[in-house]
Amino acid sequence: MDQLLLEYLPILIFLGLAIGLSAVMIGASFVVGPNRPDVEKNSPYECGFEPFDDARMKFDVRFYLVAILFIIFDLEVAFLFPWAITLGDIGVFGFWSMVVFLAILTVGFVYEWRKGALEWE
Amino acid sequence: MFTATIFLPLLGAIIAGFFGNRLGNRFAQLVSVLPMLASAVFSCVILFWVGFQGQSQTIHLFTWIDVGTLEISWALRFDTLTAVMVFVVTVVSAMVHVYSIGYMAQDPHIPRFMAYLSLFTFFMLALVTADNFVQMFFGWEGVGLCSYLLIGFWFQRPSANAAAIKAFIVNRIGDFGFMLGIFGVFYAFGSLDFDTVFDAVPGVAGQSFNFLGMNVDIVTTLCLLLFIGAMGKSAQIGLHTWLPDAMEGPTPVSALIHAATMVTAGVFMVVRLSPMYEFAPIALTVIVFVGASTAFFAATIGLTQWDIKRVIAYSTCSQLGYMFFAVGVGAYPAAIFHLMTHAFFKALLFLGSGSVIHGMHDEQDMRRMGGLFPKMKVTAALMWIGSLSLAGVPLFAGFYSKDIILESAFAAHTGMGLYAYWLGIAVALMTAFYSWRLLFLTFHGKTRADDQTFDEVHESPPVIIAPLLVLALGAIFSGWLAVEYFVGDQMKEFWGGSILMLNNVIEEAHHVPDWVVWLPTGMAAIGIAAAWVMYMAMPGLPKQLATAIRPVYRFVFRKWYFDELYDMIFVRPSFYLGHGLWKSGDGDVIDGVGPDGIAAATRNIAGRVGRMQSGYLYHYAFAMLIGIVGFATWFLFGFFQ
Amino acid sequence: MNLTADLMIASPELFVAIAAMFLLIFGVFQGNQSTRLVSWLGVGVMFIAAILVLAGPVGRVVAFNDLFVVDGFANFAKILLLLGAALTLILAVPFNAREGIPQFEYPVLILFAVLGMMMMVSANDLISLYLGIELQSLSLYVLAAIRRDAVRSTEAGLKYFVLGALSSGILLYGMTLVYGFAGSTGFDDLAAVFAESAGDGAPIGVIVGLVFIIAGLAFKVSAVPFHMWTPDVYEGAPTPITAFFAVAPKIAAMALFVRVMLEPFGDLFDQWQQVIWFISLASMILGSFAAINQTNIKRLMAYSSISNMGFVLVGLAAGNETGVQGVLLYLTIYLFMNVGTFACILAMRRQGRMVEDIDQLAGLSRTNPKMALALAIFMFSMAGIPPLAGFFGKLYVFLAAIEAELYTLAVIGLLTSVVGAFYYLRIVKLMYFDDPLDAFDQPVGREISTIVFGTSVVTALFAIIILVFPLLDSAANAAATLFAV
Repeated sequence: MDQLLLEYLPILIFLGLAIGLSAVMIGASFVVGPNRPDVEKNSPYECGFEPFDDARMKFDVRFYLVAILFIIFDLEVAFLFPWAITLGDIGVFGFWSMVVFLAILTVGFVYEWRKGALEWE
Repeated sequence: MFTATIFLPLLGAIIAGFFGNRLGNRFAQLVSVLPMLASAVFSCVILFWVGFQGQSQTIHLFTWIDVGTLEISWALRFDTLTAVMVFVVTVVSAMVHVYSIGYMAQDPHIPRFMAYLSLFTFFMLALVTADNFVQMFFGWEGVGLCSYLLIGFWFQRPSANAAAIKAFIVNRIGDFGFMLGIFGVFYAFGSLDFDTVFDAVPGVAGQSFNFLGMNVDIVTTLCLLLFIGAMGKSAQIGLHTWLPDAMEGPTPVSALIHAATMVTAGVFMVVRLSPMYEFAPIALTVIVFVGASTAFFAATIGLTQWDIKRVIAYSTCSQLGYMFFAVGVGAYPAAIFHLMTHAFFKALLFLGSGSVIHGMHDEQDMRRMGGLFPKMKVTAALMWIGSLSLAGVPLFAGFYSKDIILESAFAAHTGMGLYAYWLGIAVALMTAFYSWRLLFLTFHGKTRADDQTFDEVHESPPVIIAPLLVLALGAIFSGWLAVEYFVGDQMKEFWGGSILMLNNVIEEAHHVPDWVVWLPTGMAAIGIAAAWVMYMAMPGLPKQLATAIRPVYRFVFRKWYFDELYDMIFVRPSFYLGHGLWKSGDGDVIDGVGPDGIAAATRNIAGRVGRMQSGYLYHYAFAMLIGIVGFATWFLFGFFQ
Repeated sequence: MNLTADLMIASPELFVAIAAMFLLIFGVFQGNQSTRLVSWLGVGVMFIAAILVLAGPVGRVVAFNDLFVVDGFANFAKILLLLGAALTLILAVPFNAREGIPQFEYPVLILFAVLGMMMMVSANDLISLYLGIELQSLSLYVLAAIRRDAVRSTEAGLKYFVLGALSSGILLYGMTLVYGFAGSTGFDDLAAVFAESAGDGAPIGVIVGLVFIIAGLAFKVSAVPFHMWTPDVYEGAPTPITAFFAVAPKIAAMALFVRVMLEPFGDLFDQWQQVIWFISLASMILGSFAAINQTNIKRLMAYSSISNMGFVLVGLAAGNETGVQGVLLYLTIYLFMNVGTFACILAMRRQGRMVEDIDQLAGLSRTNPKMALALAIFMFSMAGIPPLAGFFGKLYVFLAAIEAELYTLAVIGLLTSVVGAFYYLRIVKLMYFDDPLDAFDQPVGREISTIVFGTSVVTALFAIIILVFPLLDSAANAAATLFAV
């Protein structure tokens, strides 16, 4: 039993570190951070959001769309990094696999482009 | 040819029944009459081969039922007995078919009628050609069904429907006995094949078995049970009440089913089973008693009825009694002989009365007839022939057959035989009386019909008269043509092995004293004379007589109160019981708890289940999670056990 | 590893995938006026895919490192679901044109859903199983909500999506548990592991994982108590979509269900049988009873499909070859009955508007005798009246149940089918014995009338069809492949 628990010890340490570190950072910003609000800082963002407001509010569904599109292509890049690193090992098969993957994504990209999902208005 | 004879009527029935409406009345008549005529011609050939050339045979068609030790085949058994019956059935049926073309010409349901007639003929033939009890039962029930359908043919009439139902129910009582008999035969012999059973009968004669908790003689019990079936079908006393009511059916039906063929099925059955009955003397005694009593009782009623068809119906009942007591004393050939002659002259009488009814525009009451002779001479002459034959006037067919029956009864030299003989003599008197009463009331004297009806009375068309002529030939000649073969010197060779007779009552019947021979004829003469006196010479006399012996007259006129008695003892209590069971038993208890209760519960559950479907997502998700938790828990507990 | 061979084995799926993407691009360039063309092309794609399935390898072959399997069972199910999807897509063509669903995405999404289903029935690994399910589900969520401006349609889509996501989560959780305790996600490996430890019982974690997997799959076949989404989604979704939902995904999910239970977890039969037994029983009972009070015919069909799935699960609960044969046969019959019934529902239009109230069928026998006859055939068949098709489906699953000595299940199943007969026959009674209302719009359209005719003939003459075509044998062979491993 002890052995089993021992295996999870690093996770526990990570957990402690994460909690401690974030607590220190937030606390520090409260304690040492300068707090000098002015008109510029209190006025709404360019995108139209109030800087200090309830987070549960209506917003334009187009933000949602952009966010989803962003995630998709973000993930694509996240796949590309390890692929690029190991390209020497996985060879031609690996190369073409990614090309197929990218081609499928491109189909989706063409679709969303034609549908006008990339245009704000 | 043998097979075709049986199945041609079925073919006609199927075509006329299923396609008749589309192809028209004329077509339906043709497709039923032509096969029937062919069948009748074949039957003559069959009678010649089987009866006179001794070519008995059994044609195996196919295996019908094969369950465990029970094996039943469809086989056509053609021995002399069957050949005679096939001959009688097909000839009379063919004549009735032809007759129906004319008689039913105005009816809107001709194809149906013709189909029923042909179907009936097929069932009747199946009955008489049966090679085992089950096949016989098939025909037995089939003719019962057709009888029901034909009695109720004019289904718009409540009285016809009631008569049809009555016939069916009363027959059912007899059939119940018949079925018990069949079960008993299978129980006792392990087979239902005639030959197998007949071979085994002598071996079990005298043995007893347990029936309804009593130890009884096997063969006697079985024979009595089977005889109950015969009583129902042949309208013997006690189970006779349906026959007069069956006159509600069209007249050709009365002639074919309720005079010539179906009602004689009981007689045929007992004769067919003669190898069993011969070993059951007690059963035979019972048969004699029932037959003689029926003959007498029905004849008395026949004296008083006013409906022309009912008179003939009671006469039929009475003649069937003759046949039964002939069977009972062991004179089987005499019974079949009378069966044949009776088929001819009784069908003739019925069809003749139908011709009268036709000419009188559906008038059946003899009190509104009379003096028709000049208007319908042919019909009257034919009715005279039929009556002469029925009354047993010498040289006519009925004379030969009736005489041999009465002589056999006398020659049996038993108490029961004498009982039958003396009742038979009385019946002969009454038969002659009511026959001539009928003739005088209908054809002679002054008419009692109103002027308009009387003016319109007309002779029937040739299509009605022609079959009557054929039957009249049978009513005149069938007696002396057949007497040698049926009951005379050629008897043994003619019947072959188809009938078993342990005694030789028929031979003895030829050597009875002369007065025994001539007494019936004398009685017939007296009866005719009495009828002439009462209805021609002194028309006032019957009324005075009826008033003088009023209680007796009423008793007889009301048919010995059988219908009233049955109504009180059986029918009404059944109605009360049925009503009670229906209302409180079926309605409140079974429906209330069963179908209605379950239906109500189902709706209730359905409502509850429906409300579970709230439409809220979280309810749905909650149900899923509860389900998972439930399954996991169930699993874990099941797992640790 | 032979890539070409693998690609050949998966050729129907690859074809559907490529064709679907091609149609997507084609459609997006042509715009919505191409919807009709794309739909018919979609039907053609499914037809060719079916041919590829039939032309595929005989016997059991695996591909892509045992992730993907093709055997008789998978092929049978694929043919069925392709047929169901194609028929419902044909039904949708006139409906979409009329009812203002112009999107060319409709047939494309159906193709993607079909691709997902084909992967489901060919899955040989928990991961590929999940991939197939998700591809199918995501397409279906969109399809349910495809009529974006109709409240009920979007509500249906949203409910389906949320609950579907929940069930996917449950399924995934179960898969991780199984993986954690058995050490593999491959079906063949799992089967080997459980066969080895069959004597001393599976670890508790596997059992719990199995329960979760069953729950996830039961959601897909809408078995009680994971059925709650069904009536709402059926009612809210556009009718051709409902028809599609009622047929193809059910067939795919049921085939997957059977494979997962019998192949990797076949040796845990004693453990899972009781759960299947219960959900089968509960589905039959609830489906039969709840349908009685419904007034909307699509909702009625939802409950009908719940109880039908209960009957199919009887075959699975039996867990023998007869049972699987019964499952396949039942699904085949179910396909024809449902497509036909929904085709009739699609013909229920009056003055250009769809009517979905059951009462509106009153007197249909007089206003449209042919349709009434067809619908009566379907209803009698669903009620299980011989010699119609539905009778044979029930016959075979109950035979299997008797063979497996599940007498209680068989008896209660028969009793619920009596209750079910009540609401099926009520429709017949309405059509034939009630006073007629105004006639429905005529003509109903060539597509609908052809499909109604075809399916009703199959349903009515099923007894002859199984004599002429070796359907029983092919179902039996397909079932046998599951047990040959």
